[in-house]
Amino acid sequence: MGATLRALRALVLLLGFYLLSLGLLAALIGLDVLVFTWGHGPLTVKVGFITVLLAIPVVRGMLMLRTPKGDDGAGIQVTEADEPRLWALVRELAAEAGTRAPDRILLTGDVNAAVSEDPRLLGLLPGRRRLFLGVPLLTGLTEAQLRSVLAHEYGHFTGGDTRLSALVVRGRVQIGRVIGQFHAAADDKVAADRARQERASAKRIAKGKKAKQIDTTGVGATYRTMARIYTAYGKLYLRASLSTARGQEYAADLTAARIAGRDATASALREIPVLSASHDFYIDSYATLGLQARMLPPRGEFFGGFGRLLSAREAELVKLRSGLPEEPAGPYDSHPPIAERVRRIEALPADGRTDEAKDSALSLLTDPARTLAALEDAVLVDELLSYPRAADWQELLDASMAAGLSATQTPLHRALAGYTGQPATLPALLDVIDEGRLWRLAEQLPLSEEAAAAKGRAFREFVRPGLHRSLRTMVLAEFSSRSLLHWEFSWTRPATVRLPGWGSETEDDGPEAALEAAVDAALADHPDTTALRALLPPAVQNA
Amino acid sequence: MTVLLWILAVLAVPTLLIVLWLAKVFLKEFFSPSPDDGTLAAETAQKLGLLPAERQNTDLAAPLPADWSAAVAAARAGDWEPAAELLAAIGRDWDRRSAVAYLLAESAAEEDAWLLAWEAARPGDPDAAVVRARSTVILAWELRGGKGAQYTTREQFDGFHRTLASARDEIARAAELNPDDPTPYIAEIWVALGLGYPNAEMDKLWSEITTRAPHHYEAHFSALQYWCAKWRGSERLAFEFAERAAADAPLGSLLTAMPLIAHFEHDESEDAAADNTPEMLARVEAALADVAAADPSHPRLPELRHLLAFYLHLQDRNEAALEQFKLVDGHVNALPWRYRGDVAGYYCQVRNTVAHAVAGTD
Repeated sequence: MGATLRALRALVLLLGFYLLSLGLLAALIGLDVLVFTWGHGPLTVKVGFITVLLAIPVVRGMLMLRTPKGDDGAGIQVTEADEPRLWALVRELAAEAGTRAPDRILLTGDVNAAVSEDPRLLGLLPGRRRLFLGVPLLTGLTEAQLRSVLAHEYGHFTGGDTRLSALVVRGRVQIGRVIGQFHAAADDKVAADRARQERASAKRIAKGKKAKQIDTTGVGATYRTMARIYTAYGKLYLRASLSTARGQEYAADLTAARIAGRDATASALREIPVLSASHDFYIDSYATLGLQARMLPPRGEFFGGFGRLLSAREAELVKLRSGLPEEPAGPYDSHPPIAERVRRIEALPADGRTDEAKDSALSLLTDPARTLAALEDAVLVDELLSYPRAADWQELLDASMAAGLSATQTPLHRALAGYTGQPATLPALLDVIDEGRLWRLAEQLPLSEEAAAAKGRAFREFVRPGLHRSLRTMVLAEFSSRSLLHWEFSWTRPATVRLPGWGSETEDDGPEAALEAAVDAALADHPDTTALRALLPPAVQNA
Repeated sequence: MTVLLWILAVLAVPTLLIVLWLAKVFLKEFFSPSPDDGTLAAETAQKLGLLPAERQNTDLAAPLPADWSAAVAAARAGDWEPAAELLAAIGRDWDRRSAVAYLLAESAAEEDAWLLAWEAARPGDPDAAVVRARSTVILAWELRGGKGAQYTTREQFDGFHRTLASARDEIARAAELNPDDPTPYIAEIWVALGLGYPNAEMDKLWSEITTRAPHHYEAHFSALQYWCAKWRGSERLAFEFAERAAADAPLGSLLTAMPLIAHFEHDESEDAAADNTPEMLARVEAALADVAAADPSHPRLPELRHLLAFYLHLQDRNEAALEQFKLVDGHVNALPWRYRGDVAGYYCQVRNTVAHAVAGTD
């Protein structure tokens, strides 16, 4: 389908929205005319009132002519003087793709690259173009892969996709807004009705009558029906524009392969879902590690650590790259499944451009370290920025684990507090064990149906794993509160705990194994806390 | 008007009579119902001196010898010495040793204070060690519960696997302390079932057992379970194992039960046709000869009698079936009844049908 035809269809679909709204208004007016002609008294007033209420969202939806200006999002704007090499690359690719270079470049904190244009006159005149470039994306891609990603984005402009998409987007946004207004109105109505019923119900109780069940089903149904009409049209609209959108993606991929090379394009397509998943993991497990201790990584490391993670886990990433998502991200996602896109690119004849620009795209920046630091200021919220900085990742880990352990309340803490009526402490627990009441205490733990029904040895076997975990945590918390615990930071593995006295022993005979054995002994059928007490700091031993 | 009333009154009399008669029949049936077939069969069985369902013992397949039950009762009460004496007296009678070790282990799987006392008093006692190993295996199966995998929780499976794994050390220790005893290896078969030993591992384990006791009943019973389709084998493997065991065993070893059990475990037919094939007729015949030649005090003899009674009935040899029922009545924890929810009820239903059929042909 040519650009003109696509434009025509987008226009028709958008006009359909206005047509639908006008039709609904006409129906409402027709109803009024009927009622005013033949009806009389309060009915006339009521119907008139309702039709006006329903007409308001329809009219408002039609009058919202401006597509809402998207928020630029947080990022740092870089000028040509700041980043001459990046700008040169961006311009060069735009020229090769045969389109205009962006007017601005914004570096952002996510795994994303996008070019946006604010079209004027419904997209008939070109507008200001901005390039959004995620720094984590630069961290994970090679220069060649970045070229492919940028060429793909320019491909959309060359195909005229973006200008026309203004029409498509306008239609989508407007329908969505009208639906939203109807739902909001219905919700208000339900809330108001509930309040009214609750007042009435309170009065009935005051008069000694049984309160009526509050029921708001059916209230706001008129609004919801209107919303449903628009939803149905919205679905039609999306379905009509979807195949076009996917076709445009394939076309942009071809442009990318032509400009940046087949292999770089295929590998970039493989790389992006992997980077996206890795970055989520990195943010959860590393960058925000110190939040519960109210601490941030060293300056520049919040985004900078991602690169270290990627190089440390290279072997893992190789595996991830081989498995690609076969399904589109959602039923209305405009992108075809990555696996299909990669297949199409890899089916192209080889172009011999395998070994181009293997350096990390981050090295295109003049001073990556400075950018990484500046990005934190631009992206992170002020509250986070006010947190103190750890000296290194190790300190961040230690602080975070210490904060976590001191706040932890295991099921055993709760059972012990419930059983003794005293605050749950490790010395109190050891005393209960020594008095032979561990299994009485265990009955206060949250139990599964099977564990609750079991008796004797079977009961003890059921509760022992949970007891072991809880007791181990309590012991670690005790060490931690005396700053005797050390955690080993790693970019490749989860953090491992190091107890006092840890040296170069193997896993089997170090203090860790001694702790496991001591915890086991304390939770044996005939518990013995001697070994555990011997391991603990003196203050606890004799408590 | 009066005439009309008279007509009504005349009509009312027969109606009233019918109602009264119905009421009488109803009340009579209500207070002393006429016996149906099931009740009649039950009465027949009772006349033969057979016990009703509520008086059947569902824990055992036969009454225990007096010293056995005394030892178990003493252990439950916390005294381990009679148990130790019993196992010492049994010595190298492996069939009996395995059976007693199992009974004691069942009790130790519930509470093991008495066993701990025994272990403390006689460290390194092979008899205590074998009871310990068996009790841990039983405990593991108790944690798992008797339900199908989809009704068994993650927690149950975790406990099952963890406890089975810990039993392996205890089994090895028991085997080391009494190198001639096959019992620890028999316990390990149930670890093999639970942890899913590969067939090659099972073959190795099996040769450990057969070099020590070539015709051990419980060993064969346990291994047959392993080779069944529902565990780690198949119907073909189970029959192959069972037929070979029966063929190689001397008369009186009771291993002729194995082909019957293999058939029972894999038979899903609704009628008795599969139980009347020439092979099945021959298997029952062989089992009858085996039973006749066996030591009357063999601890496993009643189990085979239960199975025989069932198949004799299915083969319409009710008199022979009744003979077996009379010999085992009172204890019903045996195949084929054991797999049903209402063990005693199922047993009594089949037994009563047999008794009724025999009485009818007299």
